[in-house]
Amino acid sequence: MSSGRLHIVGRVIRFDKVSKTYPGQKRPALESLDLEIAKGEFVFLVGSSGSGKSTFLRLVLRETRPSTGRVHVAGKEINRLSGWKVPKLRRQVGTVFQDFRLLPNKTVHENVAFALQVIGKSRSDIDALVPETLEMVGLEGKAHRMPDELSGGEQQRVAIARAFVNRPMILIADEPTGNLDPTTSVGIMKLLDRINRTGTTVVMATHDSSVVDQMRKRVIELDDGRIVRDEARGIYGYQS
Amino acid sequence: MRNILSELRASLSRNTSMTISLIVTMTVSLLLAAIGLLMQAQAERTEQFFGDRLQLQVNLCTDNSPAATCVGGAATDQQREAVQEALSTNPEVRSFEVRTPADNYERAQEVLGQSESGRQQLETVGPESFPESYYVTLEDPQRFDGVVSQVSGMDGVGSVNSLRELLGPLFEILGNLQWVAITISVLLVVAAILQVSNTIRMTAYARRREIGIMRLVGASSWHIQLPFVLESLLAALISAALAAAGIAAFMYVVVYGYLRTTLDQLTTWIRWQDAALVMGYTTVLAVLLALIPTLVMTRKYLDV
Repeated sequence: MSSGRLHIVGRVIRFDKVSKTYPGQKRPALESLDLEIAKGEFVFLVGSSGSGKSTFLRLVLRETRPSTGRVHVAGKEINRLSGWKVPKLRRQVGTVFQDFRLLPNKTVHENVAFALQVIGKSRSDIDALVPETLEMVGLEGKAHRMPDELSGGEQQRVAIARAFVNRPMILIADEPTGNLDPTTSVGIMKLLDRINRTGTTVVMATHDSSVVDQMRKRVIELDDGRIVRDEARGIYGYQS
Repeated sequence: MRNILSELRASLSRNTSMTISLIVTMTVSLLLAAIGLLMQAQAERTEQFFGDRLQLQVNLCTDNSPAATCVGGAATDQQREAVQEALSTNPEVRSFEVRTPADNYERAQEVLGQSESGRQQLETVGPESFPESYYVTLEDPQRFDGVVSQVSGMDGVGSVNSLRELLGPLFEILGNLQWVAITISVLLVVAAILQVSNTIRMTAYARRREIGIMRLVGASSWHIQLPFVLESLLAALISAALAAAGIAAFMYVVVYGYLRTTLDQLTTWIRWQDAALVMGYTTVLAVLLALIPTLVMTRKYLDV
């Protein structure tokens, strides 16, 4: 048991025989999933639509709870986490989506600052962290642009800056290159790799075979709610 | 804090028409509740007024009394003694006060002297036109029938007036109006609650992007709820202030401007203290009306 405890310390995400069946559905979205993701890992989550990738990400964000089994994220068991502690968990997990989800009426700076304002960071922290993060994602000089003045790649960089500005332990990326052309996607992947090198665990769900094949990182393939492949330096490896 | 205030400002400008309609509904429902409460206070005062003061006025015969018991003209000393005896031995009578014709003449001068026509009436009569009368306080103000039937049949008694009987219908109407006001205000309170819910639903929908991001980056529940709570609270306080102004206007124009000056003989009318108490109640009601549905609805629609 004590070795098991020690085990958890290096793992930022652990799934322990996790099944999830949504109400009103017969087939489980995830079935008896066992999985560990270590601190600082870069993991691709692949699989066809409906394979359970989204459910996996929703469980990590605690947007839903497992039907059976246990999910540990950032040292917390999410089944037992009471509602009012969920915001604290989510501050440890940054999230990026395919559709960027920026606030159209706020500037680049304001969009990134918003993530800090709403968790009660002080003005001086915000003034220090936002420009630093914008520079890191390659958007220096564009702080006062509006989102609709930016290209898709730049908008995704704003979204990544917003997810990373609070220096989370884990970064979840759900199809971050899904709306981008291949050249732009390469830039985004370089940025995610840079973030990963700061020690942040990156979990990326994707259908983009070229980015997976280029990166040669750990690949977990889901099919019908089960893990069918888990390779340390994998490739996309299936045709959808 | 600055961030929250700017969000509140943005939210208010987005929802201006909804907020105004909410304020109007709340104000009207508070005003009706206030009128119900003021009528309640008036009913209590009236009850006290009648409890403390005369219920029956027994007038003895004068030379001109038309009643059958006055065939002998003005009441004799004997008749007077018999009436006083009857009143003092009747168990339903607590006490009675004797008013001489001179007393009654003086009172009439006071009351009628206020108007021109009253003064003209007074010129034609003197103290001798007024009867001796007894102002009777009953043990139970509701039970006056026994005394009335006993005394009104006695020789020398010109008339028996029951002020309560005279004014009863008026206070019955006031009592009914009170319930009408309370019923309408309850309906409007329900409407106000639904409007608060609707406003929140619409605001939550308009702000779903921001709220989604707030939840995603780990904003706490209260941080997400606070702009909604502040918006409702602001609407509630504005409504309470408008309702208080309405109550003040009602007191100034209707109660002090008309009832207390024109109908001051009828009863003691409500005062500013009563109005202040009612304003306190409506303010508390407004805050509860806004806060409870807001907290319930934000939990429901924001999933916080």
